[in-house]
Amino acid sequence: MEAGAAAARGRMGWRLWAVVPVLLLALAVGAVVTSGSSLVDLVGTNPPPADEFDIRRVEFSPGEIRITVRNPQPDDLTIANVNIDDAIVPFTVDGPTELGRLRSSTIVVPFDWVEEDPITVGVTSSTGIQTVKEIPAAIATPEPALRGFLGYAVIGALVGILPVALGLLWLPALRQASPAWLAAFMALTAGLLVFLGLEALSEAFALQAALPSALGGSGLVLLGVALSFLGMTALSGRLSRGGTATGFALALLVSIGIGIHNLGEGLAIGASFALGELQLGTFLIIGFMIHNITEGLGIAAPVAKTRVTILALVALALVAGAPAILGAWIGGYTSSDVLGVLFFAIAAGAAFQVVVEVGRYVARQAPGGLRSGYAIGGFLAGIAVMYVTGVLAG
Amino acid sequence: MTKKPFTRRKLLAAAAPLAAVPFVGKLALGGDAEAGGQSHASHLRPESDAAHIVGGRGATMGHAAMIGPEVPAVGGPNDLDALLYPPRALRAKPGRVREYTLIAEDKDLEIAPGIFFPAWTYNGTAPGPVIRATEGDTLRVRFLNRGSHPHTIHFHGIHPTNMDGVFEIVESGGQFVYEFEARPAGLHLYHCHATPLKKHIHKGLHGAFIVDPKEPRPPAQELVLVMNGFDTDADGENNFYTVNGRSFYYARYPIRVKRSELVRIYLANLTEFDLINSLHLHADFFRYQPTGTGDYWEYTDTIMQCQGQRGVLEIQFANTGRFMFHAHQSEFTELGWMGFFEVVE
Repeated sequence: MEAGAAAARGRMGWRLWAVVPVLLLALAVGAVVTSGSSLVDLVGTNPPPADEFDIRRVEFSPGEIRITVRNPQPDDLTIANVNIDDAIVPFTVDGPTELGRLRSSTIVVPFDWVEEDPITVGVTSSTGIQTVKEIPAAIATPEPALRGFLGYAVIGALVGILPVALGLLWLPALRQASPAWLAAFMALTAGLLVFLGLEALSEAFALQAALPSALGGSGLVLLGVALSFLGMTALSGRLSRGGTATGFALALLVSIGIGIHNLGEGLAIGASFALGELQLGTFLIIGFMIHNITEGLGIAAPVAKTRVTILALVALALVAGAPAILGAWIGGYTSSDVLGVLFFAIAAGAAFQVVVEVGRYVARQAPGGLRSGYAIGGFLAGIAVMYVTGVLAG
Repeated sequence: MTKKPFTRRKLLAAAAPLAAVPFVGKLALGGDAEAGGQSHASHLRPESDAAHIVGGRGATMGHAAMIGPEVPAVGGPNDLDALLYPPRALRAKPGRVREYTLIAEDKDLEIAPGIFFPAWTYNGTAPGPVIRATEGDTLRVRFLNRGSHPHTIHFHGIHPTNMDGVFEIVESGGQFVYEFEARPAGLHLYHCHATPLKKHIHKGLHGAFIVDPKEPRPPAQELVLVMNGFDTDADGENNFYTVNGRSFYYARYPIRVKRSELVRIYLANLTEFDLINSLHLHADFFRYQPTGTGDYWEYTDTIMQCQGQRGVLEIQFANTGRFMFHAHQSEFTELGWMGFFEVVE
């Protein structure tokens, strides 16, 4: 009894002791805060704040421009003056004029802008520092109307679902293929997934670099990658009951990996289109379609020697392709810069995890394993195919 | 997407059918912020402006809309009077001494609404005060440097070289007395000539220096307009342009003059970075005497001045009404160098 209570006290004890450093840290932080600038003055004086805004979004509607700005620095920042094309314009602010750290406001400018002309917006702080954003072409920002909503859905389906579904039609051909060739196609899947993963990773790093330092950082990318890699690892463990994922389970994992990537792709297309940074021509949509058809092949290869129903194939195509629609909606109608980084990081992590799964499968199933010419050739071919078809989408 | 229940644009649109009623028109503009008090702006006709805006595209703001509360200008109606209206001209009198004290000091100036420029000033304004003497007067300017940098005063005109404000650098905390005979008659300048020159001039150490001829000019309503610019982000380009130091000031507070009264404007260009500046008057013509010297007068509505150039304009407005004036460089106009004369009976 006594011993039990002591043990319980001991268990509580380490938790109490664990709190001590945190409390002491809080005290130290409090002391530094109350010391004001005297501590910094010991080593010199603080440079003045940059006083630059983070111009997050510029929206155009007839006779009006809306500029969403954020304060990326620790010091307060005041919106004092607004320029359009190097001319001072009257404006109103929807939200606070004096922005605390990471706070945002929307500036509303009545302005007769010219369709498709480049336009420059400048926001000046009370210290006279002007932050300028150049818009390559002014186009009316799509309102969340049914028409545009459907439009994004169609574009998402065209670049996401359609090519994946077409790629799945390689299944009958794959069923005839020899084990060596099948291994080559599986390795090709791994190659294209590595390509997609790297693409997503570089996109994530590029996006985080543009974020205010308080929000960005490689840590955010790492978080996304780790989250999805470990999540997918757990999922594959469950799907394959602890063994190596094969057949439908592996196809599903590949679908999920590609699906998350396509979400990011849809996000990028939607956001660029909404911000007037991308001319969403027929050629570009065709480029994405050709780029993505190989994704269908990647999903089909694991189930080449397994019986699957049409319904299961439809499900696989939707898992891989439909997220492009969701991505286009999110990108088209929200300003999701932090989310964008996370999405692309998650896509990268998922793709890399699926590469691990496919690699294991090839190592086990392919004649000659990972060192066979078929496996190496297929892997390199996967990367090459993505690169060549990527030129069309770029 | 943030939804705003009631926007200003909707308000304007809703007021459109009622725009002919002056009071509602005024409401649509957001009310008269300068209500009450003696104000140059009180002579405006808001009803016609409101009709103009509402009757137009509704959302866009033309120049005519930049009257009253919409104009982004700092200060009150008579804030810049000390710079706009020069000291009285005195008749020539042998042996007279004109004394001035100029104090250089660092000061944050609000050059546009909410924009604070860390200026270097003579007597707390940029441009500095108008220095005036009659030809033949002895001008004695006591200069105290209370700024954080070495400064001088370099006057344009004819004077001994040891009074030129070039070699006698006045250190922070120091002082110097400039004393010389005011000549020749005309409109001149003064500015700091410490190095780096560009920095010292554009930071605000400059002003107008009027030397009246011994034979006085005809009586007139006299005005001083010093054109300058402010590079607030130190990138070697001006972010704001002004006359007398505040962007759009005379657009918000038009300069009131009488019809058929002689108006004389002393105009000087102390803009840095941009090679030239200009003045264009709408709806009338003026006579222009370069440097305020000689017998040559040009009859025009637009004159151009290089950095440091200046001259005297004379006009008798033939009509009443609101006359716009601005730099004919549209960029300068839209960055603050624009104003109005309100010509009344």
